[in-house]
Amino acid sequence: MAPLAIRRATKSFGGFEVLHGIDIDIEDGEFVVLVGPSGCGKSTLLRLIAGLEDITTGEILIDDKEVSRLHPKDRDIAMVFQSYALYPHMSVAENMGFSLRMRDVKPPERDRKVQAAAEILGLTPLLDRYPRQLSGGQRQRVAMGRAIVRDPKVFLFDEPLSNLDAKLRVQMRAEIRVLHKKLKTTIVYVTHDQIEAMTMADKIVVLRDGHVEQIGSPLELYDTPANAFVGGFIGSPAMNMLNGRIGEGGRSFVTDNGAELPLAAPPRIEPGRATIMGLRPEDIEIDEAGFPAQVQLIEPTGADIHVNLEVSGDVLTAVFHERLGLSEGQSVRLSIPVDKVHFFDPDSGDRIVG
Amino acid sequence: MVRWQRGLWLFFVPSFGLLAVVLLWPLGYAIYLSFFDYYLGSNVRSFIGLGNYVDLLTEQRLWRSMWTTIVIAFGSVGLEFVVGFALALALYRLNSSARVFSVLLFLPHIVTPVVAALFLKWMLAANWGFVDATLLTFGITPPDWLGDPFWAKISVILADAWIFTPLIMMVLYAGLQGLDESLIEAAQIDGASNWRILRHVIIPALIPAIIFTISVRLMDVFRFFDIIYVLTGGGPGTATETITIYTYQLGFRMLQVGKASALGVITLVIVAALLLTINRLLNSIYRGGDR
Repeated sequence: MAPLAIRRATKSFGGFEVLHGIDIDIEDGEFVVLVGPSGCGKSTLLRLIAGLEDITTGEILIDDKEVSRLHPKDRDIAMVFQSYALYPHMSVAENMGFSLRMRDVKPPERDRKVQAAAEILGLTPLLDRYPRQLSGGQRQRVAMGRAIVRDPKVFLFDEPLSNLDAKLRVQMRAEIRVLHKKLKTTIVYVTHDQIEAMTMADKIVVLRDGHVEQIGSPLELYDTPANAFVGGFIGSPAMNMLNGRIGEGGRSFVTDNGAELPLAAPPRIEPGRATIMGLRPEDIEIDEAGFPAQVQLIEPTGADIHVNLEVSGDVLTAVFHERLGLSEGQSVRLSIPVDKVHFFDPDSGDRIVG
Repeated sequence: MVRWQRGLWLFFVPSFGLLAVVLLWPLGYAIYLSFFDYYLGSNVRSFIGLGNYVDLLTEQRLWRSMWTTIVIAFGSVGLEFVVGFALALALYRLNSSARVFSVLLFLPHIVTPVVAALFLKWMLAANWGFVDATLLTFGITPPDWLGDPFWAKISVILADAWIFTPLIMMVLYAGLQGLDESLIEAAQIDGASNWRILRHVIIPALIPAIIFTISVRLMDVFRFFDIIYVLTGGGPGTATETITIYTYQLGFRMLQVGKASALGVITLVIVAALLLTINRLLNSIYRGGDR
């Protein structure tokens, strides 16, 4: 257990910079998720922390100690790989005990620690099996067992659930959370799946093209995205983005396609200024007094109904919890609650405080 | 899987027929001949039962040639394996531009062994050969590479290693390419030194490739003939006389075809037994778990 800090970290591969000055502070025992689209540098950042890649400039501090020039084995970290990386010719017990054996821990103590870790993860009946005899979920658990057996300062997870089927993924998500509650070890977890990030993290770091876009708790990111990218990336279905400008007196938002969407309260943005309006699908309401739209497509998911609505050339996705009995082609009227609208600058993408 | 259909066995006939003609028939005939006292060219062929085998197994020359074979076989395969594996690991660590280098390393293997051996014979020729001439310019008196019993063995081993190390390097390098890199990274994080990563992660993962190369090379080297024939002809004396060279001497110099056939059969049995043992050994070391 230890805090982790990354200071002005950059990484270049042969002159091509993929991480541009990353600053992240992670508190002791925090569960931090690095999330972003593929190629954003999140896995590279994790590998820098692990020491599997050399940092180009900057510092990494684990427990307030600079480690960026240390060998992976001297950083007191453990890592769970996407492929699990279990040693195929070793049994589960041998896999879990390998790191202890490499650190010359005596066999009796090794066995005791492996037993304890197996107990936590429910692996006790599988200790004599080989990786090839295990299911995906069991391998995943062994990979975690191998990490916890050593009681490291920081756990690193590199997309550990992406090889599991959807149902198992949800289950393992919860298991990792429970494990974290039990062990209280600092965790850095990489994923491209924003739902994993939202459900598991104490703190999310959103990365894009080697830059940190925003750092915050899941609900902070959801409620006040720092820019249009974070707004669009966090939340499913994605936030609707409408290009347009604030209308006369701030009473409405006029889209570039000419639709006028009334705003209940004027935002603190000068009228006429070009903006992007971000609108969460779940915030759109059916309202007889609202603006007109036409139902284009209905996707029932069971719990909710996703509806694509056309508003003079723009398409909005809305999520309704009630069974509204809509049909495709039908005309409806919509409204937007006052405080649920996000405004972004169309050039920089940054949030405009409205 | 192809569902079994009546008549499919017909497709098996050509290949089996060919194998029977070129492999099984000569083998059977050799076993048959090994029970006879038979000189090439003579009309008499007298059945002597296991007489040839008793003769061979009781004479010194067989055991000496057997010992020579074992020394040369394990010497050259051991050397080839260690150097080949080291080169494969080096190649694995090098970046892609340096891999062009591997083609150069493969050159000795492209040359026909007989030609390579002739080339080496010139290189090793006493006094004016490339090796001797070089050593002499530095004032070092070279040993008689092919004329001294000890150095002749060394020369033969080095010649074989020179030709076959590239093959082992390539097979093991191909095996390394198939290795999941995250296994090595996991071992690094687990605190394993490079040596222990090699011992506990890389070698176990390469066991199938290692068994393949060692088996193929041992099988080959027990039939080792061409390079020795060209370089030393089994000499000086019988210093480099392997079983195959002895078989050749028996059959084609002394024309004792029956006895030569018996020796061929003995060689077959020994090589088969040896390969089975090595396979079992390597498998049990790594498949039974890593302790």
